[in-house]
Amino acid sequence: MSAVLAAQPSLRARADGISIRDVQMVYRRGAQTTTALAGCDLDIPAGSWVSLIGASGCGKSTLLRILSDIVQPTSGQALLGGLTPAEARAQRRFALVSQHAVMLPWRRVLANVELGLEVARVPKAERRRRAEEAIDMVGLRGFEKAYPSELSGGMRQRAAIARALTLKPAYLLMDEPFGALDELLRDRLNFELLRILNETKATLLLVTHSISEAIILSDKVVVMSPRPGRITREIDIDFGHNRSPTMRDDPRFGRLESELRHALGDSMGDEHH
Amino acid sequence: MTCAKTSQWAAIVLPPVILLGIILALWAWVSAQGMIPNYLLPPPAKLWDAIVNGRSVLWRHGLATTQEALIGYVIGSLLGLLAAIVLSFSRRLRACFFPLALATQAIPIIAVTPLIVLVMGRGMPAILTLVSITAFFPMLINMTRGLRVADRGYHELLHSLAATRLQRLLMIELPAAFPYLFAALRVAATACFINAIVGEWIGSNIGLGYLVVISGQYFRMPMLWAAIVVTAALTLILAGIVAMVERAVTPWAATEHGT
Repeated sequence: MSAVLAAQPSLRARADGISIRDVQMVYRRGAQTTTALAGCDLDIPAGSWVSLIGASGCGKSTLLRILSDIVQPTSGQALLGGLTPAEARAQRRFALVSQHAVMLPWRRVLANVELGLEVARVPKAERRRRAEEAIDMVGLRGFEKAYPSELSGGMRQRAAIARALTLKPAYLLMDEPFGALDELLRDRLNFELLRILNETKATLLLVTHSISEAIILSDKVVVMSPRPGRITREIDIDFGHNRSPTMRDDPRFGRLESELRHALGDSMGDEHH
Repeated sequence: MTCAKTSQWAAIVLPPVILLGIILALWAWVSAQGMIPNYLLPPPAKLWDAIVNGRSVLWRHGLATTQEALIGYVIGSLLGLLAAIVLSFSRRLRACFFPLALATQAIPIIAVTPLIVLVMGRGMPAILTLVSITAFFPMLINMTRGLRVADRGYHELLHSLAATRLQRLLMIELPAAFPYLFAALRVAATACFINAIVGEWIGSNIGLGYLVVISGQYFRMPMLWAAIVVTAALTLILAGIVAMVERAVTPWAATEHGT
């Protein structure tokens, strides 16, 4: 692998992004096998934003779980900045944000946001400073002393994002982070996340089932389809990184929406046969 | 807020107090009518006199019992917690020990008491052992379950943060098990006084259990009843302290139902 990297500068440039090579995931239960992922290849350059979209069972969450070292692929290789998911996790290079904003109910917001820093044994004063910075960034100032059960779903998800930001991860892995929220709130948080991404320069891999969210938050949308889970299309979103809610009024936005809808329709076509 | 809190307290405290008053009145009336001989059930006033007059005796014996119950309670609970933590680290150990721990619950402690006193001799060590056993098993059994109730999402979060096994124990497994911990402490709080007294019946020359036996033998019924009342009061006080500590260390629990 390293020999290949040395020989091909274009590949080496990609080494600090996310690279997925022929990743397969096969589950065996007795005699029955289920192919959750069949040979996926994907490159995400450092600092770029990519969404995975597709029907349930297409393996988009599995791919994210492989990258975050929760499960190991049956075969193939996933790398984050040249590190295996296990190495990247040990070095705390990525942060994971899941759909159900996981908050420890016995910790107040501030202590929840500090959790990652506490695990990493960052000294207390430094911990406090960085947590407050992250809380400011997601607009939760004033709620530091609240318990998670006192927050709305949107605020809990903001807190989860703040916690993810405290360790200054190079890679932000998000699994339908706004999936449980209503449309309006989701839209607002999408643009807030864009602002945060521009400030932190993190690489984003987002799993979503919302077409508009995928367009708003991506440089590239990867369409996946189920049975077996695989990548069927990659659509570039050329809006640059300076985006505002007015991007929805751009005629390109509507075109991309319908293009994605068709791509998704095609990929789900299998289900009807 | 204070007003709401006061009325809330009144709603909790008043009904049982009223009922207690009715029971005392009934008791006084039954005694006055001579339905139950006074030497078996003294009237409340006489019982009160027994408590006031015998306060130095009750204090001495009560103190001994309280010491045994509390020290045994702390030792047994700590050991039970420690054992549960050790078992939580190994599925194999758990498979070996946990069914046996459950099975010991079938052995009545009263049946074991003479054996312990025989082996260890009369006195404090035997009774402390007895009380510790009483506190040990509820804690072990509750916490073996409690340490496993932490949400899978919490584990995945700590996993993604590259937390150590010890950090996972301290940051999620133990806090998540708090309701189980306090359930065990509540159960043991009552059981500890009961078993300290049972131990004193045959294994001690001091303590409320000894006082009950001696008063019975010499037919000092008011003192016997006084000892029973003091025991009940001590048990209630410990249970109350445990409940207060639970509320103080789990402030988030109060927010979970209100919203």
